[in-house]
Amino acid sequence: MGIGTIFDIASSGIAAQRLAIEVTGENIANVNTAGYSRQQVVMENKPVTTANGFGLGTGVQIATVRRSYDGMLQLQIVNGNSSYQENLAKQSALEQIEPSFNELASDGLGKAVENFFGAWQDLSANPSGTAERQALLSRSQILVDTFHQMDSRLASVAQTADNNLVGITAEVTDNARNLALVNTQILATQSVGGNANELLDQRDLLLQKLSEKVGITSTLASDGTASVTLPGGEQLVSGTGYATLYTNATGVPPTNDIMLSGIGNPPPANVPATDTVVATVGGGDALSGSLGGTLQIRDSVVPGYLAKLDEMASELVSAVNTAHAAGYGLDGTTGNDFFDAAGVTSGSIALDGALTATKIGAALPVPVTDPAPTSSGNNVNALALAALKSSSVAFSTGGATFAGFFRAMVGEVGVDTQGAQNVTAQGGAFLKQLNALRSSNSSVSLDEELTNLTKYQRAFQGSAKVINAATDMLDIVLGMVR
Amino acid sequence: MRVTPGMTADNAVYNLQQGRVALDSLQEQIASGSVINRPSDDPLSTRQLLDLQEQISAGDQYSSNITKASLLLNVTDTALTGMSGLMQQVKKIAGDMVSGTLDASSISGAVTSLTQLKGQMIDLANTQIGNQYIFAGFKNSQPFDTTTGAFSGTGDALNLEIANGSTVATNISGGNLLRGGIPAAAVGSGATAGGSPVDILGSIEALILAISGQDTAGIVDGAKNMKAAAEQIVAAQTDVAGRLVRLSNMQSLIDSNQNTLKSIFGDMQNVDYAKVGVQLSQQTTAFNAALSTTAKLSQLSLLDYMR
Repeated sequence: MGIGTIFDIASSGIAAQRLAIEVTGENIANVNTAGYSRQQVVMENKPVTTANGFGLGTGVQIATVRRSYDGMLQLQIVNGNSSYQENLAKQSALEQIEPSFNELASDGLGKAVENFFGAWQDLSANPSGTAERQALLSRSQILVDTFHQMDSRLASVAQTADNNLVGITAEVTDNARNLALVNTQILATQSVGGNANELLDQRDLLLQKLSEKVGITSTLASDGTASVTLPGGEQLVSGTGYATLYTNATGVPPTNDIMLSGIGNPPPANVPATDTVVATVGGGDALSGSLGGTLQIRDSVVPGYLAKLDEMASELVSAVNTAHAAGYGLDGTTGNDFFDAAGVTSGSIALDGALTATKIGAALPVPVTDPAPTSSGNNVNALALAALKSSSVAFSTGGATFAGFFRAMVGEVGVDTQGAQNVTAQGGAFLKQLNALRSSNSSVSLDEELTNLTKYQRAFQGSAKVINAATDMLDIVLGMVR
Repeated sequence: MRVTPGMTADNAVYNLQQGRVALDSLQEQIASGSVINRPSDDPLSTRQLLDLQEQISAGDQYSSNITKASLLLNVTDTALTGMSGLMQQVKKIAGDMVSGTLDASSISGAVTSLTQLKGQMIDLANTQIGNQYIFAGFKNSQPFDTTTGAFSGTGDALNLEIANGSTVATNISGGNLLRGGIPAAAVGSGATAGGSPVDILGSIEALILAISGQDTAGIVDGAKNMKAAAEQIVAAQTDVAGRLVRLSNMQSLIDSNQNTLKSIFGDMQNVDYAKVGVQLSQQTTAFNAALSTTAKLSQLSLLDYMR
């Protein structure tokens, strides 16, 4: 046991504190890096020797640089992300749909229907009036236009959702490729005994990003690599290989199917004919994430509203046409359609091509006095058509007036939107809590790092002082020799 | 729990965002004056509000129908009042003829007067509003021939809806009123004289013939017929007056209904500015405090105290 040992102990201290300061520096530098987990230096004393008669350590060494990390939290964040993004996609689409149904703020379809029947009331007061007939025609045209407008707004929301699928699948593929790359790097680092902490952080961040787009199940292998499967069990990432998630437009009008290619690095070229089908129209409910939410908007939310709107248009056309065909126009013709009989959807509803102001059938035969209506003052059919407003129509959801059916739709859109907003808000709060827990465990605290920095700096100074002391001692010993 | 500056920053952003959302919603309520601005604000109330809106606008429509019906019936009433006046004169001439002497000058005077009165009667019966002949039923052409008095209109009632499922006729059939029916009733003579319904124009015509032919029995029959005719016009006036009362009652019912509906709608939908004002000031205070603490806390760092 000589003075040389003091040098050894002190230099091990200097080396260890220097490394600790490096790690602290790394932590401080990454204070704002997404997904970064703070690293802690674990020091231990070097093996004990009993050279001077009693056990004494031989300095300090770095046992490991530990990553503060909670696997359970990571899993929950992944799951929370998927359902949050799914609801967020639905919420934003519903918020686009809602204004079309907002009868409280502006006049929409409900008001147009009301005005349509009001015009028949006005006509009944003056059945031969040109002004009344013209007003009825223009109000009917407004009604038809309003139907078209709602139809095209809903259709454009579905179309936007369909277009968004292309971007979402591309991002999934991009993240899958990056994950496969990180997996490769993790294996390479570990094969040379390196520390892959930062790579593990990247791996976790990529899993989180993937889970925002689509619901995933991830498996972590003992070597640190992650494998990912989609909700249907399809393999997206396996070790260093990954698959391409892509869209394939089929049908008329073209809608995107979600397809998955084979696994590889790079993956084999897309072959829609033989690749795995992940979701077709109506089959994406279980996919979760923004992909699942977007598919639900395209396949169930919008078509649901459109079907109701179509039903309303179809019932309106048939009820008005039936009543109108029985009536007689000013020109004595009867059996005329009011609406085009072929237009029974909200997109195709139209006034009958042959309908003119004089053909509007306000008259109805009255026995004895007016058997084949030639009297321009006959308003019996106008009254009957105006009465359609308050008559109950057998809709698929039960009997209701036209206005009542539409009000129920408005209520439904309101409930759906409110529901999506509430679920999204709850999901957001849950995710925020999970992220707070993760941050609490893993994120960098500057105060803490600065304290550590001071601590390690002082320790470094101490070790340097020991070297000074040893040098002095050595000088003294050498002076004795001189 | 370990709290890092990053968490503090995240929480600050989240909480400030919540404060902004609350402020934004209050601002929207104040600016629009409405509590419910879109269906998702309160789906159930939205349905009720739309229900109320529909009932209110249905009331407006019925109100407008009542105005139109009142106009038609008031014009009819004016025409009937005119006819009633004419009938008084006809009745007087017939009475004079029954009791007076039938000399040539009085006969020719009576015939001339009666012919003119009949002409005026037909003119009144051809009264128009705009292009509508009020006594023509469903027909839209002159209902009475100006020389013969023949009726070519229909006897149909021109109904208007004044409440859900409730209609009122806005016209009197000219045929029933002046011809005693469609086709015209037989002119009463002898035992049937003075019976109802009366073919008023036909009876005046018969009276003119009786006077010019100095047919005493015919003149007596004519006088009886004229009495019944005057009553027939008065009956029509009473009928029209009754309908006008019904319209006015319905109008006031609708008005009071509209008031109630509008006040319910207002209660549900109108912003209580005092309440929202207080909420806004509370929320503003809270938001100010949040901003101030955020600004202070985010500045805190150990760096400020390290050399």
